[in-house]
Amino acid sequence: MKLLKIELKKIVTYRTFWIIFGLYFAFLALGIILAEFIVNAMVDDINKRLPIPLPHAVLFNFPDIWQNLTFFASIRYVLIFPAILIIILITNEFTNKTVRQNIINGMSRSEFLISKLQLVLLLALVITVVLTIVIFILGIAHSDIQNISQLFVRFSFVPGFFVQMVSFLCYALFFGFLFRNTGLTIALFTLYCLIIEPVIYFFLRAPFIWENKIYPYLPVNAVIRVVEYPAIPALKKLMNFQLQEGISLIACGTPILYSALMIGIIFWSFNKRDL
Amino acid sequence: MSETVLSIHQLSKRYGRIQAVNQLSLEVRRGQVFGILGPNGSGKTTTLGMVLDLVRSDSGTYTWFNEKPSKECRKRIGAVIETPNFFPYLSAAKNLEIVAQVKGFTYSDIDRVLTLTGLFERRLDRFRTFSFGMKQRLAVASALLNQPEVLILDEPTNGLDPQGIAQIRNLVQQVALEGFTIILASHLLDEVQKICSHVAVLNKGNILFSGEVSKVLAVADSLEISSNDNEALKSALAKHPHFSALSETNGMVSAVFKTYTPPEALNQFLVQHGIFLTHLCERHRTLEQHFLELLNDSGS
Repeated sequence: MKLLKIELKKIVTYRTFWIIFGLYFAFLALGIILAEFIVNAMVDDINKRLPIPLPHAVLFNFPDIWQNLTFFASIRYVLIFPAILIIILITNEFTNKTVRQNIINGMSRSEFLISKLQLVLLLALVITVVLTIVIFILGIAHSDIQNISQLFVRFSFVPGFFVQMVSFLCYALFFGFLFRNTGLTIALFTLYCLIIEPVIYFFLRAPFIWENKIYPYLPVNAVIRVVEYPAIPALKKLMNFQLQEGISLIACGTPILYSALMIGIIFWSFNKRDL
Repeated sequence: MSETVLSIHQLSKRYGRIQAVNQLSLEVRRGQVFGILGPNGSGKTTTLGMVLDLVRSDSGTYTWFNEKPSKECRKRIGAVIETPNFFPYLSAAKNLEIVAQVKGFTYSDIDRVLTLTGLFERRLDRFRTFSFGMKQRLAVASALLNQPEVLILDEPTNGLDPQGIAQIRNLVQQVALEGFTIILASHLLDEVQKICSHVAVLNKGNILFSGEVSKVLAVADSLEISSNDNEALKSALAKHPHFSALSETNGMVSAVFKTYTPPEALNQFLVQHGIFLTHLCERHRTLEQHFLELLNDSGS
């Protein structure tokens, strides 16, 4: 707790942190508000070509809302915001050389790393809790009594989302420790998540039959695939979505394994290198 | 002898082709104001970095307070290495609160060190808004927090204007008078001479010389002599085992000691050789001459 207190002191009056934090939630809220509108626009479009029109999708009723909101909150363009926060907080330590001062003042290298891991867990927890509260409020507002009896049926998407968040933030931490420079790290991390991995997918996909066996195991995709699809029955039929009833432990295992490996590498190299 | 604060034994560090520190050994005792003097790139910061766990040594050992180095040892040390390291967006007071938290102190000493360094009025301003001199003083303030047993300052006046230099020096001298142990790395001879009681001269990672500053300054290193027959004088001196170099300028022979010889002993020796002096004077080399000579000897 002592280490976490120190980390919080670094954040509380840090304006940049709060701006990005606020932007993240604004972006997320906008996404949620627009989601139903966009999905139903798609349904309308499809209905033009169908003899029997599909019903409009309802995203915010229980128990589907658990899956839908965790799905929208874990698309890569949204996940990147909290990852950037972590990158800024860790690379700040290197660019301001405060990591050196922390060691000089009597923090061990392991403690320094642990304090950053605690920060990752805390940030993931806060975001998960906020999302859960949003789900409750939206869900109750949109559900009838019959649905409310099924309130917790798909609650497993919440711990699933927490795993996504922690893993993705661990990746960010790994990049931060690796490159140290704020701008460079953000650029490389964003490039990898949004371009390099999709490009790898693109080239793997065409000539090989085993495309789908590899792609879900690339680090970022492994995170995103934890909540694979939204629960939209209309689209499920048309776009050949598989039904995802809950979170699979195997799907969670891949990103956890990646994070553990990355943290292991950070521990090993950080204890060895000069600061 | 007072208690050993820092003991370094055969510490080495190599960066690629450059041997930054080469089997360096030294000892700092309680109450000393110990200067580590050397030109830029001589290994001062690397050495301090190694004993503060910032830089991993290739070989060698060190102890703090006769204990194996640990994070607990470092909490007893107040140190500033190279530049002041603080969060630019946090106030001076908040930055010091972080230092106190890491070291496991309460915040009770923060106002004192801020006042001591003349920053109390600015304590709520962000570090980013400080002038370089103020940043350097805040670094000293953080090092002084809760009266550490050793104060380590690395080039504390580097890049400061004359007023800033004077402020930092006064501060260090004031602290030194209170009996603190201080380790001061500097490339400025003048600074070491003014502040330190002991000095180790470093070049290319080697200790060239180490000892008390007062002794270095007080001990004569050569004699200036002349007689009516300087040629006879020189040939007599050449037979004397305690002198290494002889030179003559303007009728004065300068004889450099290998081993210190008091003037009366030399006088007696020369009389035995039938030489009577017209002039005999001890020459004290200054630390600066010594410093430059040592650097020249080691081929830089």
